[in-house]
Amino acid sequence: MAILFQVEYALEAVRKGTCAVGVRGKDVVVLGVEKKSVLQLQDPRTVRKVVMLDDHVCLAFAGLTADGRVLIDKARIECQSHRLTVEDPVTIEYITRHIAGIQQKYTQSGGVRPFGISTLIVGFDPHDTRPRLYQTEPSGIYSSWKANAIGRSSKTVREFLEKNHKDDMSRDDAIKLTVKSLLEVVQTGAKNIEISVMESYGKITSLDLSQIEAIVSEIEREKEAEAERKRSRLAATAAGQAAMTQVVSGTGEGSGQ
Amino acid sequence: MARRYDSRTTIFSPEGRLYQIEYAMEAISHAGTVLGVLAKDGVVIAAEKKVTGKLLDMSGAREGGYGGSGEKIFLLNSNVVAGVAGITADANSLINFARQAAQRHLLTYDEDIPVELLAQRLCDLKQGYTQYGGLRPFGVSLLYAGYDPHYHFQLYHSDPSGNYSGWKATCIGANNGTAQSLLKQEYKEDMSVEDAYNSGDEKLEFSTLTLGPNKQPKAKIYKPAEIDALLQKHGLGKKDEDAEMASA
Amino acid sequence: MDISFALTGKGYVIVAADTTAARSIIKMKVDEDKIKVISPHLLMAYSGEPGDTVQFAEYVERNLRLYQIRNTHPLRPSSAASWIRGALASSLRSRKPYSVNLLVGGYDTSTYTPHLYWIDYLGTMTSVPFAAHGYGSYFALSLLDRYHDPEASLEEGLATLRRCLDEVAKRLVVSPEKYKVRVVDKDGVREIEL
Repeated sequence: MAILFQVEYALEAVRKGTCAVGVRGKDVVVLGVEKKSVLQLQDPRTVRKVVMLDDHVCLAFAGLTADGRVLIDKARIECQSHRLTVEDPVTIEYITRHIAGIQQKYTQSGGVRPFGISTLIVGFDPHDTRPRLYQTEPSGIYSSWKANAIGRSSKTVREFLEKNHKDDMSRDDAIKLTVKSLLEVVQTGAKNIEISVMESYGKITSLDLSQIEAIVSEIEREKEAEAERKRSRLAATAAGQAAMTQVVSGTGEGSGQ
Repeated sequence: MARRYDSRTTIFSPEGRLYQIEYAMEAISHAGTVLGVLAKDGVVIAAEKKVTGKLLDMSGAREGGYGGSGEKIFLLNSNVVAGVAGITADANSLINFARQAAQRHLLTYDEDIPVELLAQRLCDLKQGYTQYGGLRPFGVSLLYAGYDPHYHFQLYHSDPSGNYSGWKATCIGANNGTAQSLLKQEYKEDMSVEDAYNSGDEKLEFSTLTLGPNKQPKAKIYKPAEIDALLQKHGLGKKDEDAEMASA
Repeated sequence: MDISFALTGKGYVIVAADTTAARSIIKMKVDEDKIKVISPHLLMAYSGEPGDTVQFAEYVERNLRLYQIRNTHPLRPSSAASWIRGALASSLRSRKPYSVNLLVGGYDTSTYTPHLYWIDYLGTMTSVPFAAHGYGSYFALSLLDRYHDPEASLEEGLATLRRCLDEVAKRLVVSPEKYKVRVVDKDGVREIEL
């Protein structure tokens, strides 16, 4: 029994992990992760949540970090091995399938437990301009997405993405949506968010803190404005209603009921 | 029934936890404290010895032993010193593995193994024991103090789950919470090894890793008499049982 | 038949290799690139059994790239050369050894120094200020002995290389007509037209 439920329980480990979001735009794909606060005496260089598998493939994971490191290592070997055997870089689907395959193996063999991680894999296929986004799970399932989230509160974030994702978003819009969706679960703002952007085959940049701060404050401004609009609209309706009741009460008894 | 999810290492609990690892970490939090501090010109590791006794023969340790001070501090490679906390027998086996990994790297690449890579090697092994392999994970946390040309002086910490991270100053074993907050207060950027000496509060085993005159990493694991001298020098020479025995 | 040269100078390594692909007495191709750029600061001129050379070079490239991706920093030239030598040495003791000779040049970005290694198919490796493989070495080594200067500027280094190529063109019966020349320094690898 316990064995059968192991994959379910591994998913629990994933749900305890920090949140990661992937968003596909028109010709860009964005990975955002919630970054645990680096402790004061810790070396931030050694805390990595988003890693490169090859020049054109990027991966973020949620769950047990040590499991993540081991799985990433296997994937990196496959990337180079694939290049050596067929001379071409891996496609994003290929490496996703490979990673999911490894994860699947660990759900079926005796004496092992599944990997306690889900992954988001992004990138561009060689000679192609379409951004890709895939997800793998401890069970070995993999799937392609327009936008998705894994880890802590991923359900909330996914619902947010479902509501707000549009096809063919520009670079800036895709980044903004990523940050916005992360802010649904990250209360501490820009300093706990890490954003990587892939714009074409092998062209990847990660935003620095000031850039993320700028986006966060822009989002906050928009929210403020939205709230302001709501308030004034409410005030307007309230005033209208007040005027109505005044008029009503002015016209005499009984008719107001 | 209660032992359903903790009798085997390879089992997730319904909440997605790995109890065996948590037990291992619990065991380590009762082990002798090990402290590491990164300075601008070196790294220092200090450890509190737990196994003591009037009749324990420390003559091996007095000579420094081969690359070890006795119980908690070991030389892994000419550029890395490690301090261990946890089950001593597990630690011995990990240290043996680390030394082999370092030598394998030296053989293949004709260079001292980069510190992070050595930490990674050990963590891959430790992770393996939480997913497949033996009956239980390694009950050992380690601090690695080392030097390589890529990132110069470094200090890493690894735990039984196979996680590791780099630190400026950190602590494992008993009272690590208290020591950690003490370090947080006392730590200054770009302090020297000389300053870092003062950060240790239980100076019973001691080692430093600095650069020698030829710019090559130089590890020093202090002998008991040298530790006494060091304590005297810094005015901390409280004569406790261990020190007395060591100098006897 | 392959000819390759390499020499170090002040902060750089120049590597040159002919571009002829021949089979028996026939020239099949005159624009073959026999220098592999392995990482931003490392390159390798290969010669020997056709087929083996390319196969081995790709094997090296992928393995060293894997190291870089796994460890975020690439291997330093000395370590990379040691690994390559080891690969050749174990190949030599296998059922079908690679028959490849190499000149490995690189710039160590942690110590800011250029490095050059001469490696042959037997797994011999030496760190050298200048080197050559193939028939070119009979003509060029004496010239390099006379004119090589470890402190030479890039122009002076290229002038020394030109002496070697001219000598080969003048004296060797089957001299190649074209060479590919690459240099590696602190800015990485680039190609140079002679």
